[in-house]
Amino acid sequence: MEAHTEELKARQAPARRLPDFGGRQEKSVARTLVAPGQLLMAFIVLFPAAIAIYIGFTSWGPTTGVDFWHAYEFWHWFDGYWEALTTVAFWEAMWRTVLITVVCVAVEFLLGFGLALLLLKNFKGRGLVVVFFLLPMMVVPAVSGFIFFMIYQLDGPLNEALDLLFGVGPVNWLQNADIAIWSVMVVDIWQWAPLMFLIFLSGLAALPEDQMNQARILGASFYHQLRYLVIPMMKPILLIALIIRAIEAFKIFDAIYLLTQGGPGNATENISLYLFDETSANTRWGYASSVAIIVLILVSVIGYWAIRPIEQAQEETLEELTGAELAADVAAEQRVEEAIEAEARV
Amino acid sequence: MAAVEETRTTFVAPPASRTPRWLKPTGRILTIVLIGALFAFPLYWVVTMSFKPLPEWNPPGKVYWWPDNPTLENYEKILGISSGEQSVFATGRSRSAVEFLVNSVVAAIGGTILALIVGIFTAYGIARFRAGGRMLPFQILQLRMFPPIAIIIPLLFFYVEIGLWNKEYFGWFNLGLIVLYGAVTFPFVVWLMRSFFQEVPREISEAAIVDGCTQWGAFFKAVLPQVKGGLAATALFVFILNWSDFLIAKVMTQDNNSTAPVYLQSLQGGASGNEYGLQAALACILIIPPAVFGLLIQRYLVRGLTFGAIKR
Repeated sequence: MEAHTEELKARQAPARRLPDFGGRQEKSVARTLVAPGQLLMAFIVLFPAAIAIYIGFTSWGPTTGVDFWHAYEFWHWFDGYWEALTTVAFWEAMWRTVLITVVCVAVEFLLGFGLALLLLKNFKGRGLVVVFFLLPMMVVPAVSGFIFFMIYQLDGPLNEALDLLFGVGPVNWLQNADIAIWSVMVVDIWQWAPLMFLIFLSGLAALPEDQMNQARILGASFYHQLRYLVIPMMKPILLIALIIRAIEAFKIFDAIYLLTQGGPGNATENISLYLFDETSANTRWGYASSVAIIVLILVSVIGYWAIRPIEQAQEETLEELTGAELAADVAAEQRVEEAIEAEARV
Repeated sequence: MAAVEETRTTFVAPPASRTPRWLKPTGRILTIVLIGALFAFPLYWVVTMSFKPLPEWNPPGKVYWWPDNPTLENYEKILGISSGEQSVFATGRSRSAVEFLVNSVVAAIGGTILALIVGIFTAYGIARFRAGGRMLPFQILQLRMFPPIAIIIPLLFFYVEIGLWNKEYFGWFNLGLIVLYGAVTFPFVVWLMRSFFQEVPREISEAAIVDGCTQWGAFFKAVLPQVKGGLAATALFVFILNWSDFLIAKVMTQDNNSTAPVYLQSLQGGASGNEYGLQAALACILIIPPAVFGLLIQRYLVRGLTFGAIKR
């Protein structure tokens, strides 16, 4: 009996699954599959957000001598938020974060695109060169901060090289407040321009060869090829690369911490370092929570739009796959139905 | 169009190149070499530094472009093979980084396993059943946009409260760190594995179900073996991410419980001065696993770093 129903189910399987992927059993399996993931997401987003909202309304900290649960004794509503929004240091940190993000991403973009154009044509040892450019990406960010710390020393190789080549006196790369922020950016550019390069290289290689050759034969200049063919065709890829790098550049912490710890003064302090300082050095946990909430809100709002192009790219590949699959399903369905009808007629 | 030259119109088989004419091969090679040298120098510097003895680290007024007296001393000290008492900067601090490297390995592997276990199921649910609706994948992606510090600060309070902060079980198992590493890299697993699961034809799991498997049996016996390669690549990728962490370990651990990158930073400055050689040796050890794994999964690197949005 059991075996018989099993068999029937199997025969009915196509009809059950056709338009949506419903079916009671599938739904419960699906729910079970994603439940642990949703739990983990709650732990890493909702839970900390809830704590931050609670603590953000207080001036609680480890130095108050009261434990976490009694933080409400220090309740002060929006004072923390107000303080953040009226503090110069917070806005300066925000401004530096934006500056670092914009400059790093722009330079990485240009460098990566240029390199990709340079390396597009195949030559002997090209594969090796590509692998070679992969290496900076693999370096632990804290380590790359440390490496540049050595290079930037007053008696270090960079100043020595500048002296040998151009006779320029030693530059205080890390202690000069005007220069330090640019020194910090170089590290991120060194590490992540290769990612842009890799993305663009694969994008350029995938351009339709015929159209490109046609354009060249008809006498289109390099600039025109770039302006009217390459960039429009690569637009989705360019956009995704920019967004992903911007997201990461916004969060830089490790390299800056190893290089300057936000100094001199707070000349290289971005929002991550500002938050870290308020938490660890100043132990103002209530205030840090308010700032964290402000940052989370900002990022969520910006992120809602920033994610769109990535979402689109992923949906497209998804549609490609499931679209083809659905068509095949429908065809199979029809064949089964025809067979059943034929059987019924007999 | 009228200006098209005679020679061009008679062009029969255009070469495959798309490089502009003004970039002559030699100039091109020179530019590549120059940029390549600039990109290579930091790595060259840290590797050579790790073989330099103390007097060549960073003496005032002189730069050693090449280790004049190469030595393995730095590695021996950092791996605890010989004690570093002869150093003029010697401090009471333990100089061997072995303990920190062990912490790093345990936390990175633990985090990777956690992220994989949770992530694989979520990815399969999304790829195969569209579980959680259309929004779930993008909520997971948005998670990556938050600066980690903003999330870790509240969790720090929580960890301090429940005693997980800076807590190592058995002297090596840092549960708090592992859970955080797993949670932070989980989105990467979901996105990568989802793109791999989508490449597996639905018919495979259906065939397994028709043959008498349950949904779960079909997943483990029919679908999972199909994505073995992708699974390995994802595991290595996530391991690299966890291994590279500095911030979370810096906030959540202290002293002997922290990981190797944090120890690297603690060797910087302070009472002992900068111990470039030792730091460089540790840095080189830290670079090796990601470099090796990164080259192994080269094909999937871009896919991983762009959340599967760009496939090569």
